[in-house]
Amino acid sequence: MNQPLAGYAPAPVTARMENHGSHMLKVAMQTGNDLFARVGSMVAYEGFIQYEPNPPAVRQIARDWITGEGAPLMKCAGDGLLYLADYGADVVVINLGGDAISVNATNLLAFDASLQWGVERVKGLAKFAGQGLWNTKISGQGWVALTSRGKPIVVDCGGGENETYVDPDALVAWSPNLKVKGKRSFKAQSLIGRGSGEAYQMAFSGTGIVVVQPSEDSTDRLRVRG
Amino acid sequence: MPREFQRGHKARISDLTAGTDLYVGVQISAPGLTFDISCFGLDADERLSDDRYFVFFNQPKSPEESIQLLGAQAGDTESFRVTLDRIPPQIHKLSFTATIDGAGQMSQVGPGYLRIVAGGEEVARYAFDGSEFSTERAVMLGDIYLKDVWRFAAVGQGFDGGLEALLKNFGGEVLEEEAPAPAQAPQQPQQPQTGGAPGFAPPIQAAAPPAFGVPSAPAAPTAPVPPQAPTPPPAPVPQPAAQGFAPPPGVTPPPPPAPQPPSVHAAPTIVAPLTPPPGGTVPPPPPAPAPYGHPGQQPPYGHQPPGPAAPPPPGYGQPTPPPGYGQPTPPPGYGQPPYGQVPGQAAPYGAPQTAAPQGTGVAAALDKFKETPTGQRWTPQNGKLIRADLGIGGQPVLARQGSMVLYQGKVDFSYKGAGFAGRIVGNATGQEMQLMRCTGQGQVFFAEESTHLHPVELQGDAICVSAENVLAFDESLQYEVRRIEGHGIPGGALFTMQFQGTGTIVVKTHGTPVVLPVTPTTFVDSNAVVAWSAAAQVIVSSQVRMRRNAYPGHTGEGVNLQFRAAPGNFVVVQPYEV
Repeated sequence: MNQPLAGYAPAPVTARMENHGSHMLKVAMQTGNDLFARVGSMVAYEGFIQYEPNPPAVRQIARDWITGEGAPLMKCAGDGLLYLADYGADVVVINLGGDAISVNATNLLAFDASLQWGVERVKGLAKFAGQGLWNTKISGQGWVALTSRGKPIVVDCGGGENETYVDPDALVAWSPNLKVKGKRSFKAQSLIGRGSGEAYQMAFSGTGIVVVQPSEDSTDRLRVRG
Repeated sequence: MPREFQRGHKARISDLTAGTDLYVGVQISAPGLTFDISCFGLDADERLSDDRYFVFFNQPKSPEESIQLLGAQAGDTESFRVTLDRIPPQIHKLSFTATIDGAGQMSQVGPGYLRIVAGGEEVARYAFDGSEFSTERAVMLGDIYLKDVWRFAAVGQGFDGGLEALLKNFGGEVLEEEAPAPAQAPQQPQQPQTGGAPGFAPPIQAAAPPAFGVPSAPAAPTAPVPPQAPTPPPAPVPQPAAQGFAPPPGVTPPPPPAPQPPSVHAAPTIVAPLTPPPGGTVPPPPPAPAPYGHPGQQPPYGHQPPGPAAPPPPGYGQPTPPPGYGQPTPPPGYGQPPYGQVPGQAAPYGAPQTAAPQGTGVAAALDKFKETPTGQRWTPQNGKLIRADLGIGGQPVLARQGSMVLYQGKVDFSYKGAGFAGRIVGNATGQEMQLMRCTGQGQVFFAEESTHLHPVELQGDAICVSAENVLAFDESLQYEVRRIEGHGIPGGALFTMQFQGTGTIVVKTHGTPVVLPVTPTTFVDSNAVVAWSAAAQVIVSSQVRMRRNAYPGHTGEGVNLQFRAAPGNFVVVQPYEV
């Protein structure tokens, strides 16, 4: 009876974070090596793992996240295997190794508590309601997991004078050393009367990468459900 | 995701990939047997009228290098690079064949395949195994042929005779022994150019296009490379050994056998392996009088002395090869010109990335999601994202509003109004479609709601696409909006756009679509239909009851579309009812 499902058993652990399939994240938890994960992203766990929603550390850093709501992160501690997923979104696992990355709020799934992280507001983009209000800059030695609706694409900004423009709804993450600004790409005349579809973009310039998902669905499913 | 082909299946190459620079890999093996895998370039009468287009181990490329033999790599026993748009007009068909070298029959072969890789992604695979064959000693595996456009067909037809019988079948003659030698000679100077082919992804370290320029210099973590990186050693091994080598591609045998592999391995680009002229720096093979260092290989192509093949395959996979065979001699002398370029060349193909070793750092982790560099106007980045290079072709692109996810360069977006949109908006409420016009210089990435995208290249033919499934198209295409009315269709009518002319249209589907041939009894749900060939005539039929009847408040009558057309027409349906 089990045979058709036999191929889906977890693979032996080889790293702190791994993909199980392309849509699920498997984290090897150890005591002393805690993890921050999105509230509601846990789908299964083995072993002894405790969850602390809205921990003081997060409250401190994310004071100005969203008024009136608790921080959308929980702290996971313990020993065992933890499985996370976000409504079938693709999961991308990154071993930072000293690099830094800036992640859009809705696309952050989990990261090691030992990493340096902070919440920053993207300048000039506060007008995007519902998303893009804040993003998380993470750096240090450790692991980060992102989600993406569909297989993401990584674009090199090239470092030249050419700017790269991204639909904020499709943006997943970018190198924090890139310069970011908002841009309205449609001529004013085309805005009059009829919606133009691509009203705002974020413009990136400098040396670094931008990660984009093939979907303009930026709904935060984990939050919507709660 | 590769499309699986069965024997007899055919498809247009443009349906598989937008690229014309293809990698064709053949994997065939059988215990104790070796295979010669060759490509015949045939004319319109299916004759080998020009034997320079018989690409095989002794003649590793056609004169203008549109067909090149690349050697064993990435798990393929033999591989070719085919550049479709450089194939001369007199060549109408490329037939890929495998012949048994020595005794044996095709029924002995294990599971094998012929696959096409384009842009680093496997797009087609025809799998076969020995049970489909009997006593044949040669088999035509697949054809890439020109019928209006280039197409691919999985053939799988066996021949009792060996390579000679195949040659006769194609009207060729068994070449004189000397023939390959001159063919070999002129290609030496040409070889360095091979890497410079435009539109072809560059060698690993040559960080030419910025898109590919990975910060980390070492080749290992570069996106398409990982599978290859460990494997270059097999490349210089002469073909007889490939039989032993190819099946376990992942074995990563560090090659002690030859002095040659290090030099090839260390070569940073494909040009480098050539710097040692074949047989020059290389220790001259004592037992090899023939130019290729393989005495038995020469006289009749198919027949070689059983000697080299005789040692059991296991020996080759190991670091220590059997002494009798693993001498330095065969690799340098024989394998030099065709195989020497492989380590460098291997990079662009990047067989599907299976086990990308995960390095640390953001760049390494995200490496497999790099944008794919090719000099095409439309380049699928993955199944759900497509890039249009406005600089190529120089014409604007019309796209559904809101479908742009990213752009680089100077691109102007403007509302595409009036005529077209007006017609649709005017006719229907709730079914409006708004377009934007992208002009300028630069690259624009389109995607929408993680739908699957399919670039369809029209060359004078026509296709009807449901308006909801149009994502973007070249402005050079003529289009007209058609309205299919039927009682029960949401909004009163189904809007379709008929495209005609030369250019590309990107169709989006929710999920993997199915392409059905039009038969007298082809019925399609009007909500799920995506596109159909314009020659098919649509009839609205509302007799067939559908499950939606069950919904309260529904009219109780579903609407299906029936198609009427000559054979050869098709309908595309998505697994999603809008």
